[in-house]
Amino acid sequence: MTNRLCYVCEGGDCTEKGSGDVFDQLRDLVREFDPDEERIKIRRYPCFGACEQGINVTLYPDKVFYSHVTEADLPDIVAHIKGDGEKVERLTGKCEPDVEQIIWDMLDSPY
Amino acid sequence: MSIVDLEAKIPNNVGLRDNKRLTMALEKWQPKFIEWWKTLGPTDFNEDQIYLRTAVGVGQGGWAHFDYVKMPDYRWGIFLADGPDDRQIHFGDNLGQKAWHEVPGEFRNRLRRLIVTQGDTEPASVEQQRMLGHCCPSLYDLRSLFQVNVEEGRHLWAMVYLLQTHFGADGRDEAEAMLERHSGDEDNPRILEAFNYKVTNWLDFFCFTAFMDRDGKYQLASLAESSFDPLARSTQFMLAEEAYHLQTGENGVGRIIRRTGELMKEGQDPRKVGAIPLDMIQKYVNFWFTGSMDLFGGEDSTNAAEAFAMGLKGRYRESDGIYKDPKALNADYKLTVPTDDGKLEEKEIPLRRAMNAVLLDAYIADCSRIVDRWNRDLKKIGIDQRIELPNRRFNRHQGVYAGYKFNPQGELIDEATWTKEHTNWLPTQADREYVDSCMIQVTEPGKFANYIAPPHKGVNDQPIDFEYVKFH
Repeated sequence: MTNRLCYVCEGGDCTEKGSGDVFDQLRDLVREFDPDEERIKIRRYPCFGACEQGINVTLYPDKVFYSHVTEADLPDIVAHIKGDGEKVERLTGKCEPDVEQIIWDMLDSPY
Repeated sequence: MSIVDLEAKIPNNVGLRDNKRLTMALEKWQPKFIEWWKTLGPTDFNEDQIYLRTAVGVGQGGWAHFDYVKMPDYRWGIFLADGPDDRQIHFGDNLGQKAWHEVPGEFRNRLRRLIVTQGDTEPASVEQQRMLGHCCPSLYDLRSLFQVNVEEGRHLWAMVYLLQTHFGADGRDEAEAMLERHSGDEDNPRILEAFNYKVTNWLDFFCFTAFMDRDGKYQLASLAESSFDPLARSTQFMLAEEAYHLQTGENGVGRIIRRTGELMKEGQDPRKVGAIPLDMIQKYVNFWFTGSMDLFGGEDSTNAAEAFAMGLKGRYRESDGIYKDPKALNADYKLTVPTDDGKLEEKEIPLRRAMNAVLLDAYIADCSRIVDRWNRDLKKIGIDQRIELPNRRFNRHQGVYAGYKFNPQGELIDEATWTKEHTNWLPTQADREYVDSCMIQVTEPGKFANYIAPPHKGVNDQPIDFEYVKFH
């Protein structure tokens, strides 16, 4: 099984902006080409702390932090996940670098 | 997908109707729970109508229902998250085997202790917070308090269900005992020390939910990885509810900080207008954050190693596969420890023995994130002062740093320095009296006490000035 992960924030602000639907749609789109999670696992994450920039979606270990994600952005994100497309630049660099780093520090377990 | 029975006396998705013995046992415990709630819960608000979220299922999206309810009439239910029947153990010595649906005999005592310790914290916090309604800063916040309280009550139900279902007479006795121990009771206190602390004001409450409930999140998350499937699924669903509690704390402290910052920017002295100075908030953060770290247990722990090896408690998000070795056998953890000659040295311990420390690392990183968020608000307002998370060695009463004195920067200090300085770092009696003096009850919809900023939005798409509590 892969260790590549996609986290969709389900903190209070992101949830209010519709992160539940984003998660469901993203998972369904990825399942079409990766039904057994061999290439990536799609998971919810409690809160990234970049609430004003929500909905936030991260890719790890790629360390890509997507912000202001809407359902309309999902085909581009899925293309990136699948390897058919580039990183979706318009959704990156929206939150402060130290916030991003805190999340990578949490996920970069040395163990 | 499990079937949710909302019509039963105890709402559930665990098939209680098909288990008469268990139903009888739980229905026997239910009136004792209600009696406990009416005696040691927020008793002075039992007749009021509260706009509450009630769990009605476990599916993502739409698992909860909002409506007015009197708290003693709240539908406390038993819900387990859905999961595959063929789940496999994904860490520890039994890696790859089928997850257990019954308690293995050899792990019975340890599992029971884990469940009892977790369960005991749930009613404890309700007891600690029971008088706060009398000094609520707004109706919005009063509702939040009661939401947290009733859901902690439901979490007690979740643990009692496991005890009554899987631990026979012992489990029934433990369920009774959880209603007999009381927070702060000299003769029969709650199990964990921090759950006997006094919570006398809303800064305490918000720090409690920001830091102590966040410890709860990490403990629940480690149990959600458990090889004992009913425990894993029970705690997975508890985590869904717990998220709101953490938000309540994180936003609550943040709103107090924001209000203080706004007043400072206007050139006002917070103390002269009933608000809380930042240095005093810092002391509360120091107190509750350090108390919460003690709940993780010793950083070097054979108990933690055994719980991991047995598959009872995993690391945070273990099932996401973010760790290199699911057996944790081939790595060491670097722990900084004090030495007898007054220095700090790095010591390597087997990773399994450091499982509490690994979980604590994830917790501290999460706490850094919320403090960072508060500080971004101060920066936006134009205030230079910042809130800082103290070092993990400061003010510890459990683990390798207990018995030593450190300053908030984590430097080892002598007793005399501690005696001289500690009142600058932790709340004094005078600080507590001042904060308590700011606690004036505000119950007009849309109005807030002067020490706290309004939230950015209301609950469940309701406006901020919604009548979240209707007094009888």
